[in-house]
Amino acid sequence: KYQVQISEARKMSILEYNGAAIIAMGGKDCVGIACDTRLGAQAQTVSCDFRKVFKMNDRTFVGLAGLATDVLTMNNLLKFRQNLYELREERQLTPKVFSNLLSNLLYEKRFGPYFIEPVVAGLDENNKPFLSGMDLIGAPVYTDDFVVSGTATANMYGMCETLYKKDMEPEELFETLSQALLASVDRDALSGWGAVVHIVTKDGVISRELKGRRD
Amino acid sequence: MARRYDSSTTTFSPEGRLHQVEYAIEAINNAGTCVGILAKDGVVMASEKKVTSSLLAPAKSSEKTYKLCQHAACNVAGLTADANILIDQARLRAGRYAYQYCEAIPVEQLVEHVCNYKQAYTQYGGLRPFGVAFLFAGYDTHYGFQLYQSDPSGNYSGWKATVIGANNQAGKSFLKNEYGAKKEDEDEKMKGCEE
Repeated sequence: KYQVQISEARKMSILEYNGAAIIAMGGKDCVGIACDTRLGAQAQTVSCDFRKVFKMNDRTFVGLAGLATDVLTMNNLLKFRQNLYELREERQLTPKVFSNLLSNLLYEKRFGPYFIEPVVAGLDENNKPFLSGMDLIGAPVYTDDFVVSGTATANMYGMCETLYKKDMEPEELFETLSQALLASVDRDALSGWGAVVHIVTKDGVISRELKGRRD
Repeated sequence: MARRYDSSTTTFSPEGRLHQVEYAIEAINNAGTCVGILAKDGVVMASEKKVTSSLLAPAKSSEKTYKLCQHAACNVAGLTADANILIDQARLRAGRYAYQYCEAIPVEQLVEHVCNYKQAYTQYGGLRPFGVAFLFAGYDTHYGFQLYQSDPSGNYSGWKATVIGANNQAGKSFLKNEYGAKKEDEDEKMKGCEE
């Protein structure tokens, strides 16, 4: 189901059409979330600066892997809902609440879903890391180590499982996250072509661009 | 006389008036005063909060001033419960516009939307009008800083300076004399107005 077929191309899942790779990882009082920056139309690369991780507020980030049009639409929808929440409640959305909102929005379209598989990363009220991942209809999973999403998930699971350690400090978390992502996308044709890593601590966010293979 | 044309919001009186709308406006004349003044670099709004009882828990947020979106806010005079509905409508409208066009809603369009909503309660349904008057203040790239006033009829107009709520007549005549003398001195005028 959900397959596309363009002439002179093989059948592909709709979630693989544009390509993406997203990892979020938890550390000691910090979280990291990283994505590749490729946007493709099946085999053809169209852009090398298509970011899939969006900042909702200082403590909440979301990564959206999947069909690019839904990535952009969901980002706009989330900004809309977040704005409404902040106006009505006069307080900021926490990552957990944001994750529930996202899950709810996805399930509303249960029989005609958004083709995205999101990842939520942030710091809760006590600056403890919060991570969640979900499928395209909003089934969430909560962990404290790492969540991955995109076209290279098999690679990313392998890399994360190997490189991950508990309670990493922000600098070490950055290194781990970067190496895991870079190695994973190098073995996937549909993701790569640049990467961005955000490390979130109670003192702020540091975002860095990675230089990787551009093929 | 006017009595038999009072009860229905959606019926004109022989003199061509909508009595329910006028009574709604009366209700607002008992509410806390709000003053709004347009300056060249912004809009100033001040409101009088009426403390009805010392037993009241301190309010988490204002009952007079509300943010509608990043570039617009409003002050309320009248029934707070009615105002809450309209403020929510305004916030939704601003959000939906930004969602659709990825651009900030022009202030007048936001005001007009709220006013159209209010107007419906003077023409359809047999429901009473909203007992609220607003002062809308905002900025957009088309007309810069703007100040609007709206009332239960759904009518609105742009102002350089205006007053709603209790003693608004006195306030307006004060502003008529004072406004334009020195545009930067809003605080002086505000203090004068509250008196």
